Amino acid sequence: MSVSSVRTAWSDAYARVTGSSLGPYQTALIRIGFSFTWLFFLAREWVNSQELYGPDAPWSWDLARRLTDDNGAFTVLMWSDSGWWFRLVYLLAMVSALLLMLGWRTRTMSVLYMIGLLSLQNRSVFVGDGGDNVLHLMAIYMVFTRCGQVWSLDARRARRRAAAGPGGTAPDESAPGTALTEEGKDRDVPGIVLWTVCGLALAFATTAADARLSWTAHGPVPGIGWAALLWALWSGHGLWWAVRRYGGTEPRAVMAAFGHLIHNAALLAILAEVCLIYGAAGWYKVQGSLWQDGSALYYPLHLDYFSPWPSLSHALAASGVVVLLLSYGTVAVQAAFPFTLINRRVKNVLVVAMIAEHLGIAVLLGLPFFSLVMVFADAVFLPTAFLVCAGGAVGRTAARGWSALVRFNRREIPAQWNRRAGVRASETGETEAAHGKAEAEADPARSTTG
Amino acid sequence: MDTDDGRERKDGAGERAPAAPAGLSRPARCAIALGALTVAVVTVVHLGMMFLHVAPPNTVSKQHSSTIADYVLPEFEQNWKFFAPNPLQQNIHVQARAQVRAPDGEVRVTPWTDLSAQDGAAILHNPLPSHARQNQLRRAWDFYLAWHDDQGRPLGKRSPLAEEYLRRIAVSRIDLDREPGDLERVQLRSLTSNVAPPPWSKGQTGDPVRRELAWWRVESDDLKVVRVR
Repeated sequence: MSVSSVRTAWSDAYARVTGSSLGPYQTALIRIGFSFTWLFFLAREWVNSQELYGPDAPWSWDLARRLTDDNGAFTVLMWSDSGWWFRLVYLLAMVSALLLMLGWRTRTMSVLYMIGLLSLQNRSVFVGDGGDNVLHLMAIYMVFTRCGQVWSLDARRARRRAAAGPGGTAPDESAPGTALTEEGKDRDVPGIVLWTVCGLALAFATTAADARLSWTAHGPVPGIGWAALLWALWSGHGLWWAVRRYGGTEPRAVMAAFGHLIHNAALLAILAEVCLIYGAAGWYKVQGSLWQDGSALYYPLHLDYFSPWPSLSHALAASGVVVLLLSYGTVAVQAAFPFTLINRRVKNVLVVAMIAEHLGIAVLLGLPFFSLVMVFADAVFLPTAFLVCAGGAVGRTAARGWSALVRFNRREIPAQWNRRAGVRASETGETEAAHGKAEAEADPARSTTG
Repeated sequence: MDTDDGRERKDGAGERAPAAPAGLSRPARCAIALGALTVAVVTVVHLGMMFLHVAPPNTVSKQHSSTIADYVLPEFEQNWKFFAPNPLQQNIHVQARAQVRAPDGEVRVTPWTDLSAQDGAAILHNPLPSHARQNQLRRAWDFYLAWHDDQGRPLGKRSPLAEEYLRRIAVSRIDLDREPGDLERVQLRSLTSNVAPPPWSKGQTGDPVRRELAWWRVESDDLKVVRVR
């Protein structure tokens, strides 16, 4: 390799990481995947939420306070031990997860999602498992990625504004992911309101005596407290908006480059984290005697806590050869994964194999949420072409389903429906038929605005 | 590590990424370069810390263990030893009983309740087991064992937390509808049985190992704990 080709490659790479936010589909996929998993988890645990995270849980508010006072873990649930505060935080965690999944104000929602997730998990660390651990790390990393560049309401809004006409400009790559980037003359009232409300909430949290948000201590990394990080994010959003709206070309280009750099670094951290998970999992297994003699998987399949379908587990574990192949296969795939990234084709095969293995674990070991998290972590390595294709297919199916629903609402699936409606009207008399008609007339309006 | 996105763009139409720094003034280019350097350093340090935290204790991580711990804890803590180096080979049944003072003043001891069996029943044939059944008691027991010696003596600052946690779990699960009266004390024990080794191996199962903890006085705060039906 000549010096000049090294230099070209170097400057190419530099231009790429300062000039574009890489992996828009991959980051959108993990945004949707992780926030969906967390929302699904919170919905599933709704009935047990008091027992897991509530003030009178076995891991009581007081126990949590003693632990977090000592280790400095971040949780807004320690701001008050009242029941309504707990309910509010739980609901906000669900709402922010939903909105992040949909990609509405992605930048802001990713921060609120992180706050909600960290608050609940750090409130009761001893009820979590590996899946919670992955969600925890990824929630922090996602704050720094532009995970709403595609497949989001933000992206749709940017597209529409661009299509709307002279006021808008073409959506450059950085526009969709940022909640507060506004072009042209149109005022983004929801964005400004959201930013202001977040600022007021943060000001209240920083000044209120109970909140215990520190500037320098107990932060995500030494020296940077949560107050410092959250205020930096908040003012960063505001500055970004101001520069895009009022700044010249140069400040905008510099800010855009910073945005790209931070996104790309966070994406790298996410990819490295997944490699670390597999590398470590494989590394430690290689040292185990039971993984070496190929009987390791026999044991989890006989643990009461990890065999929701004992007859299935026992049937699988009955064959020494099957257990051997699965045990060796697991170790080989996990230890090898980080190195297969050198070769695209091998990597893609392995990603598919690991997704399949995690789907198996979801059922067999009764770890659906952990598996779902890992499936999405694996999927960050899927190739763009595949994601675009799959995304298109999902979009078309959803559109078809939606229009069928709209037609159904408008009573445009006529034949049987009308016949049945006719029968019902003749059976039940005039009032109900009239009511049904009014409903049918009202519905189309609702479905077009909805 | 390259994303597919980047590589495909290169392979594809030969389209070059927009070169942000080009065409900008010198200060702007310097600012971007400085930003790139900062982000690169932060990323390398962060990933290095993550690696040293996850890797087995080694020459470097032993020397800088407190720096690494300061950086990683509490928000970046991670453990990826799923079933490693060797998977757990025991089913642990944690059981609890209570001492109750009946309204007539008589003090009785309830029979043992198998808390792990309650968990097992909730997990059996459940496609979506709850963390409350799958992790709570199991991890609370691990937590207790990690902070107490074989005689139940505390080993450090987390020991009282672990004890109070287990006590509250016991109170939350003992069915007091069947045992009217005031709950005064609880006791826990564990029955640990080895998983029968596979038919193709020559291992022995052995008898279950029993471990009984001391009676613990129930505090008035414990009685407010969320009851598990």
